[in-house]
Amino acid sequence: MYIDNKKVQDLADRLSSSAEIQGRSLWQDARHRFLKNKAAMISLITLTIIVIFSITGSAISPWNFEEIDWDAMSDVPTLGVPSIQSGHYFGTDALGRDLYSRVIQGTQISLMVGLIGSFIAVIVGTLYGATAGYLGGRIDGVMMRTVDILMAIPFMFVLILLMVMFGRSIYMIFIGIGLLSWLDMSRIIRGQTLSLKNKEFIEAAVATGVKPLTIITRHIVPNVLGIVVVYATLLIPGMIMTESFISFLGLGVQEPQTSWGALINEGAKTIQHGTLWQLLFPLSFFIVTLLSFFFIGDGLRDALDPKDR
Amino acid sequence: MLNFIIRRLLIAIPTILIIILLSFLLMHSAPGGPFSAERSLPAEVLANIEHKYGMDKPVIEQMARYLWGILTEFDFGPSFKYKNQSVNDLIASGFPVTLTYGIWSFIFASLIGVTLGVIAALKHNTWLDYLATGGAIIGSVLPNFVMAPLLVLLFSVYLNWLPGGGWEGGKIQFVILPVIALATSYLAGIARITRSSMLEVLNSNFIRTAKAKGLPNHYIILHHALKPAMLPVLTSLGLSFVGMITGSVIIDQYFSTGGIGQHFVNAALNRDYSVIMGVTILVGSLTILFNLLVEVLYAWIDPRIRY
Repeated sequence: MYIDNKKVQDLADRLSSSAEIQGRSLWQDARHRFLKNKAAMISLITLTIIVIFSITGSAISPWNFEEIDWDAMSDVPTLGVPSIQSGHYFGTDALGRDLYSRVIQGTQISLMVGLIGSFIAVIVGTLYGATAGYLGGRIDGVMMRTVDILMAIPFMFVLILLMVMFGRSIYMIFIGIGLLSWLDMSRIIRGQTLSLKNKEFIEAAVATGVKPLTIITRHIVPNVLGIVVVYATLLIPGMIMTESFISFLGLGVQEPQTSWGALINEGAKTIQHGTLWQLLFPLSFFIVTLLSFFFIGDGLRDALDPKDR
Repeated sequence: MLNFIIRRLLIAIPTILIIILLSFLLMHSAPGGPFSAERSLPAEVLANIEHKYGMDKPVIEQMARYLWGILTEFDFGPSFKYKNQSVNDLIASGFPVTLTYGIWSFIFASLIGVTLGVIAALKHNTWLDYLATGGAIIGSVLPNFVMAPLLVLLFSVYLNWLPGGGWEGGKIQFVILPVIALATSYLAGIARITRSSMLEVLNSNFIRTAKAKGLPNHYIILHHALKPAMLPVLTSLGLSFVGMITGSVIIDQYFSTGGIGQHFVNAALNRDYSVIMGVTILVGSLTILFNLLVEVLYAWIDPRIRY
């Protein structure tokens, strides 16, 4: 009978070293899967570059974002074109301001809106959803009905309403986006909590007399963290889109500050004049960043989804 | 079923009332009124105007009158900025426009989105699937305010095939660009959801049974797979509808189509409170009614769901 000596040897080796094999935790497993996901990794690198660019990019520009280059302003289509010599790497906008510096400024604001929005969603949505799911009964009914009602309100209109009434400022956008971002999150977390609630370790905690609030924060929240991370990542592009939507209408950030939506709007107004760079630079930043967030979110979901294990 | 619809309607009505009251109170807590925007008027004139519009009465009474007007006569009051025009007039002129391109976008997005999603799922892991999935991913980062300038750039500025704005009573060449701009990102979303839900259904046991019985493929897809696969899609259709109504603000602004969104933005810039409120309430009610419709359809398609 033919026996593959090499295989036998391998097996023996593996058996003798089996004492060193360690179990992998969910998070290790997830990290491994995420690192293998090419699209997600490329997106992560791209996003890192964009973030670094938005923080340090202004150092190499001779212009700041509100300075007007009067020479370029006199003839934007020819003097305002992107060039290294003039120092306008991305050209100028219709008012002769340096587009490179403005794109950096817009990137900072847009990214900040995304991060703060999803931060609020994570904190409020997780606590609200976990509380509703854990307490259950009538309290749960009232809390979730409230979410239903809030969800039925056309939020973009309410947000515009808020901007009109209390003045247009970036803080108003944060508040407005914070108000609507946590609704979806709270529903998802509630569903997860309902399925966790009857597990033994929660029962054990209840039996040993742990208070409900402590159970929620110490036992339930850590167990839904995976889903929270995935949805938070998927929420960021939505937040950025909401802000851009409002800024596109001219109701968002105010001059001289800017954001991607405002820049796209300015670029879109001048496409007939042959100053295409005014549209295409902010637009590419917008699209590339959003794509990156989508791929990272998808990668995280695949990595953390226990169904695929 | 009838019971369920009635119960949902009973929830919908207070929700609409809450929207009305909420927007009314928000308006009242706003600093500055519609008449304080431009040059300041003499105190007596201002008092006269406010008296004419009933703004000198207590808040509760104003609110009650406003609500009463809406409920009994469907009257949203006069516009504060445009004399001789009531909010109803503005809505009547803008709403048909919004509805026209809104409905076309909705049909376009759902038909093509579902078709693409189903094809991608059936041809799983072939070039067709990759093409559809790739297109859907790119489409989902092209919201209406990105698509609108890109489409105008391509079809109006370069190719000069279609007009870059205007409405002209809804002639076909004026409708195409707004519809595509509005529909793209939702089409992509619908396609993605359809694909993943169809894949899940195609891998389930009852489809295997149907195949084992020797049923023809098209019969399995049409009679067994499609219906359960449509459930998550239905939810996303509801969201798309809301998104498209909201998106009309951008479309109207960019294409100057004169729909309801244009009135809304103008009113927002002019602090024309009654118009803002009227549009918000209208859109809110529409949203709620559409969600109701989706829920009823949901219950009808999925016999497991009983409320």
